[in-house]
Amino acid sequence: MGLTHKLKIPPVYITVALLVVVGLAFYLGNPNFLTPYNLNTIISFSAILLMVALGQMCTILVGGIDLSVGGLVSFISVAFILLIKPIGYWAYPACILMGVLAGYTNGLILTRIKIPSFIATLGTGGILTSLAYLVSPRPVNLSPDSYQVVDTVVNGSLLGVSNVLYIGLAVFLLFFAILRFTSTGRNIFYIGSNIKMSWMSGINITRTRNIAFMLSGLGAALVGITMSSIRYGGDPVVGTAYVLNSIAAVVVGGTALTGGTGGVVNTLFGAIFMSMLDNGMNVVGIDQYLQQAILGIMVIIGVTLTFDRTKTPIVK
Amino acid sequence: MVFQEGSLVPNLSVTENLFLCHEAEFRRVGILSLRPMRAAARELLAQMKLHSIDVDLPVAEISSAERQMVEIARLLWLSRLYGQENPVLILDEPTTVLADSERETLFEILHELKKRASIIFISHRIQEVLENCDRIVVLKDGKNVTEMPAAESRLLKIEQLMVGHSFAVDRFHQDEEWKQSEKEILRVENLSKAGLFQPLTFTVREGEIVSLIGLVGSGKEALCRCVAGLEKADTGAVILDGRKLPSGSPSAAVRAGIGHIPIDRRSEGLALMMSVAENVNLLVLNRLKTAGFLSPAREKKNAQHWIAECQIKTPSSGTLCANLSGGNQQKTVISKWLSSRVRLLILDHPTRGVDVGAKDELYKIIRRLAKEGIGMLMMCDTLEEDIGLANRMLIMKDGRLVKELASSPRQKPSPQDIISLIV
Repeated sequence: MGLTHKLKIPPVYITVALLVVVGLAFYLGNPNFLTPYNLNTIISFSAILLMVALGQMCTILVGGIDLSVGGLVSFISVAFILLIKPIGYWAYPACILMGVLAGYTNGLILTRIKIPSFIATLGTGGILTSLAYLVSPRPVNLSPDSYQVVDTVVNGSLLGVSNVLYIGLAVFLLFFAILRFTSTGRNIFYIGSNIKMSWMSGINITRTRNIAFMLSGLGAALVGITMSSIRYGGDPVVGTAYVLNSIAAVVVGGTALTGGTGGVVNTLFGAIFMSMLDNGMNVVGIDQYLQQAILGIMVIIGVTLTFDRTKTPIVK
Repeated sequence: MVFQEGSLVPNLSVTENLFLCHEAEFRRVGILSLRPMRAAARELLAQMKLHSIDVDLPVAEISSAERQMVEIARLLWLSRLYGQENPVLILDEPTTVLADSERETLFEILHELKKRASIIFISHRIQEVLENCDRIVVLKDGKNVTEMPAAESRLLKIEQLMVGHSFAVDRFHQDEEWKQSEKEILRVENLSKAGLFQPLTFTVREGEIVSLIGLVGSGKEALCRCVAGLEKADTGAVILDGRKLPSGSPSAAVRAGIGHIPIDRRSEGLALMMSVAENVNLLVLNRLKTAGFLSPAREKKNAQHWIAECQIKTPSSGTLCANLSGGNQQKTVISKWLSSRVRLLILDHPTRGVDVGAKDELYKIIRRLAKEGIGMLMMCDTLEEDIGLANRMLIMKDGRLVKELASSPRQKPSPQDIISLIV
């Protein structure tokens, strides 16, 4: 039984409650957990995870999934650094465009060749990971004379707040607006809710699904850019963790993997939860080898609490 | 039990299907032994005088008659396995999928089987029931109407019993008459789909309710799906307001103004986990925008307008459709199409799963829509509903349009007339 169903409270509140409980536990384990410095770290990581998770959420809302985000983040991460040298600031739009195109490719494989997104993105994810290695087999550093390009955008700050947060906020507002105030956003929900009804009602399913995957590509590209900027270098393995973390953030927030229900606010808290967990386990000094297990357990607990399984007879 | 749709696994062989889930009987030292299994399969089929079936073929590749035989053989084997002396076989409409010659073979085998088993034979083909059964039970509305030896019954008598004497037109009676325009909205020309319905032509006029009447499998469902663009027709054209619609494109049909109230609203008509407002507004999002963005205020206004208009009983426009009753869910589906200013509505069993009170409200809504000029193509749960609501009836049988009946308020055809046409 999903707790949300029994008590009739939206999943978001459960996620927030979980956030508070786990946060408190970390605080009791190590009071340093709640220092401004550490909170700032958590929020920065949340902002980055949020960008890729919001894109992931769109694909999950239309009833699909995007497993290629990891490969895309890695690829963009190295491509961005390599592109700064020849084209300077143009590396930003170029990388964003590549990300969206990669997402569009995923969409086309799903909607035109009609291969389930799970398999399609598993394939493109592999291709992108290989591309990242082919472009740069080893981590590549930004030459110091180009530092300015990343310092003015991602690494800068305004009113004492890091630009990463502003970027995260902008992405959040963008996704919020798309999902709440555009027909495409609404169609994403209709399709995830009932694809047969959507088809019978004349909704352009191909186009909407393509857009959902393009949004996912956009989110992943932004994360690739941000990660490389912070580290002043690209790394062909940097994206690996984002596949599972983005899905976990979406699902812990209360978006059902079956699609149709959920939203940006859910994913916001899901992303904060996942980042806090990651950080908190290090702060209270949990054994590195144990961390993955605890992360896994927390995801399962989170989904048990937020996901209403009473109306879903078969879970796949 | 042999089901109407068949319950074999199409990609497994005849042998595997015969012994599905009971393979343990053929275990030799823990390993499945195929040879005795095949031998047993051949023997089983030989008992039913079926020597032509290759036991290694996948079930998908044998004829539908053969498939039915395989199902019967499986049941006989199972009853023997469990030591049943005289098993009861239930055959649900076994003849609908069979050709005439295959039907003959089936009855030959059934007569043969009477020595070893009892058979309950369900069919709507009264003629074959009369010819082959020993005893007949007529059911209507879930009640056992009568039971009699087949020798004593006549076709007409059974038809009467099926309709029932207690037939009352009152509840569906039209108290008001409206003037129908002569303007034709929908024209279907030589539309056909192989194996489902033959080329047929008809029209629906503005404000007219046309009922499609026929048994399940008469092709009326497929016809409606073709008109709505959900299936591609083989030949012919669907013409709405003088424009030919592309075949097999629901979005083109929707844009042209064809609405479709599906039989299964939960899986085809609604986004259950979304609100009433979101469902009602689905087709008109573009009209509810301010400066290119959806306006929550206008969305709410539109939803509330239709909630009031169709008397949808819901706590608020934000309530999830999953929490509404069947009747109110149906009204939500109708509202969705009405708000898009639909020209032609296809009503596929609009009152299925709706309680009596809500049914009356739906009848009222349907009549009012007709008065407003919407043309309707309808299939109903009961003949009485068809008779009460329709202005005209198209009777379908075995994929052909066999008869067109006028059904004006003062001169309604009787259900007996119709039954004799459809069976």
